[in-house]
Amino acid sequence: MSKCAFIDSLVTPYVDGELPPDERNAVDEHVVKCPPCRGRLLAERAVRSMIADRRRAMCSERASDALKKKCADLAAPRDDGATARQGGRSWEGGPAWLGGYAARKRAGWRSRIAPLSMAAALVLVVGGAFLYQLTASSSRVMAAELAADHMKCFAMNNVLGTHGTADSVESAMASGFDWRMQLPAGDHEGLELVGSRPCLYGEGRVAHIMFRHNGTPVSLFMLPKTSRADELVHVLGHEAAIWSVGDRTFVLVARETEADVQQMAAFVQASIR
Amino acid sequence: MPNRGSTSEREAAGAGSRAREARAHAIEAEAIGSIDSLYRTALRLTRSPADAEDLVQETYLKAFRAAESFAPGTNLRAWLFTILHNTARNRARDKAREALTVDSDAVEQAAEGAAPYGAFGELSRGDTPESLLLRDALTPDVQAAIDALPDAFRQAVWLRDVEEFSYAEIGEMLGIPAGTVMSRISRGRRMLFERLQNLRPAHV
Repeated sequence: MSKCAFIDSLVTPYVDGELPPDERNAVDEHVVKCPPCRGRLLAERAVRSMIADRRRAMCSERASDALKKKCADLAAPRDDGATARQGGRSWEGGPAWLGGYAARKRAGWRSRIAPLSMAAALVLVVGGAFLYQLTASSSRVMAAELAADHMKCFAMNNVLGTHGTADSVESAMASGFDWRMQLPAGDHEGLELVGSRPCLYGEGRVAHIMFRHNGTPVSLFMLPKTSRADELVHVLGHEAAIWSVGDRTFVLVARETEADVQQMAAFVQASIR
Repeated sequence: MPNRGSTSEREAAGAGSRAREARAHAIEAEAIGSIDSLYRTALRLTRSPADAEDLVQETYLKAFRAAESFAPGTNLRAWLFTILHNTARNRARDKAREALTVDSDAVEQAAEGAAPYGAFGELSRGDTPESLLLRDALTPDVQAAIDALPDAFRQAVWLRDVEEFSYAEIGEMLGIPAGTVMSRISRGRRMLFERLQNLRPAHV
């Protein structure tokens, strides 16, 4: 029976027809004499051919058309900022850009941004673009990458358990990004500070400040020397609110409702300078 | 703004970027062609259609971002599956749940205990396992049995027997040596055999 050990690593490639002839013969010789090994080999072969016979039926689950479209859109991001800004539904099933939000007048962050974003657009045209190499022209791609970073950084934070204070985050922003900002003291609107990290994006670094909103992770990214049209994007199961002040672009990412994200973005825009 | 570089230099640069673009489009089109099998595999990994859709989207996002690093001539579908599995592993870590990151040796030892070789010995008398299993195992039962396997074995069996990748490709996807891939396939198949056999004791 001790001879059975040698067959251990050979049964699967034998069954799959991937053994060279000499090893194949060795297996054949052994299983003729050894019923347990023969049983094992026949069982593996039975399962393999059973799955093969049902493979077509088992492959009946297909990606939905909506998912196909989303993924294809990730491949070829059209520069559709203009349509998005005008309220076009850019992703199937996704929210229209601030759909109905301005009309509801829930908060004024978009209207406050409007004159600023015009100035920001000017910066972009005049000379901001080459200072900060973006990975793609579409805000949606940017939002998706930041949403991925949002998930990654919170995962890291769950492991490391770091907890930054307002002071430490403010000094990190000032030294790392020349961004002299002030966080609101204490908890506001259920937003609790978690900490900050420098993240890599495109060719440069972006500031990443992490909060929790009633326990849910919320990220605020600040991209220096970048300007974007303000936009709300639904991506990777997250909502991302994008706005720019001067030559800084801010992106707030959370897996919350459109309305909650807009409200947080409005609060952040009003309180962080 | 003054022109920089000669006309021919700029044309050459334009042709180069057009070629890159054409290659990127070809990769994108081929990549989207694998979406059904990626989605099915994502369903096996996440067990939830919504999570599977998210996982597939993140996979494509990463793939398109890294398209430059894809080596032409190698298997694009295998490359996408590698990204899919890496992403799924990272997400499992994100959730800080142990289910997907259990020490694989422990899983394999546990399975060893559950499916000793000797269990199949009796089958070599009389009916062969082929005849017992192939007779009337129903596809939904087979699917359910695969879904019920522990993660490590389900992934290996699925990628080999349904998605038909090589041991080396699967090893790349799961971040394990090819030898471990084979032993997981082997144990996964034997566990399936046990389960499917037990589904219909009346026939045995």
